[in-house]
Amino acid sequence: MKLFTAVLLSLAAVSAQATPRTVDTARSDISFSVKQMGVAVEGRFKRFEAQVNFDPAKPETSSAALSVDIASIDAGSDEADSTAAERAWLDKAGFPKATFKSSSVRATGPGKYEAKGLLTIKGKPREITVPFRATDQASGATLLSGQFSIRRTDFGVGGGEWNEGDLVSNDVPVTFQLLLAPAK
Amino acid sequence: MSQPLPQRYGAIAQAGHWLTLLLVIGAFALGWIMSDMKMSPTRLKLFSYHKWIGVTIFGIAVLRLLWRQWAKAPPLPPAMPAWERIGAHLSHWGLYALLLAIPLSGWLMSSAKGFQTVYLGHFPIPDLIGRDRELGKLLEDVHELLTTILLFVVGLHAAAALKHHFFNRDDVLTRMLPRWRKTGDAS
Repeated sequence: MKLFTAVLLSLAAVSAQATPRTVDTARSDISFSVKQMGVAVEGRFKRFEAQVNFDPAKPETSSAALSVDIASIDAGSDEADSTAAERAWLDKAGFPKATFKSSSVRATGPGKYEAKGLLTIKGKPREITVPFRATDQASGATLLSGQFSIRRTDFGVGGGEWNEGDLVSNDVPVTFQLLLAPAK
Repeated sequence: MSQPLPQRYGAIAQAGHWLTLLLVIGAFALGWIMSDMKMSPTRLKLFSYHKWIGVTIFGIAVLRLLWRQWAKAPPLPPAMPAWERIGAHLSHWGLYALLLAIPLSGWLMSSAKGFQTVYLGHFPIPDLIGRDRELGKLLEDVHELLTTILLFVVGLHAAAALKHHFFNRDDVLTRMLPRWRKTGDAS
């Protein structure tokens, strides 16, 4: 009986979810910018997985889970890539993935939303708020795009000598674009 | 030439010349040290300083070329054979060309590698080209090759100045030195 109730409840939970939408990762983008000595160095992650359920009619039923492959970083040069992958920075070997899991999504205006959730980098989870926009594409696809800023020291990224002075900015703006295939 | 040519380099031309030498030594030393360093905050600083010096050398070279239009360079000693004159002109214009081309290649290389040049940390110099790994490596090679050529031509230039001073005993070296100095170190 207990089991039966559990199954029913979980079915109910599933039906309350927005329909999962396939994320076209080839046409999606997750990038960031780090400033050192006044010079902004742009980078992006070429490989990530994303499960997104998004329903603009019922945004509160939406959810997102992303997993970013740290090894896929592209910071423009071999040197910058290997530095970013080092232990002091993103520690590719120790923490190969950075993840985000939403806890709630709400509408903040026409076409504008806000997701709260847990961002985990280098094994350190931090609650973040991500504002984003949803724009319908001619193809029926939906483009979710937004920008937020994290403090790299919150995640222990770039410690020790890297934190002396103002050499490398603590604030790291992150921009993303997720292209969701048309809802089935 | 309607106006008689000066016999010496003026104070501004001299300042441009010797300041360029100091900056080139500085940029070369930094470039040498930082290219072998492991990535660290110090290394990033050295990269920035190296770029700032490079931009300065480029700016001074442009100003010197403009200044030369107004304050003509003194003529070469009449006793010089033709091949020496050609050599002197080639090396002088070659030096100017290198003082422009090396910073240019460094700037393009920085853009290709994704590190924009921001002069003195405040004045961003636009990226003419986008990020491109292969082009970045190629420009790095070009930058190093041009620097090697510069080193060679500077050596030739200094050797020629010393030869004029000690063998020909003319004023080719001293006219690039302040008047109160009888002899100088042109290395």
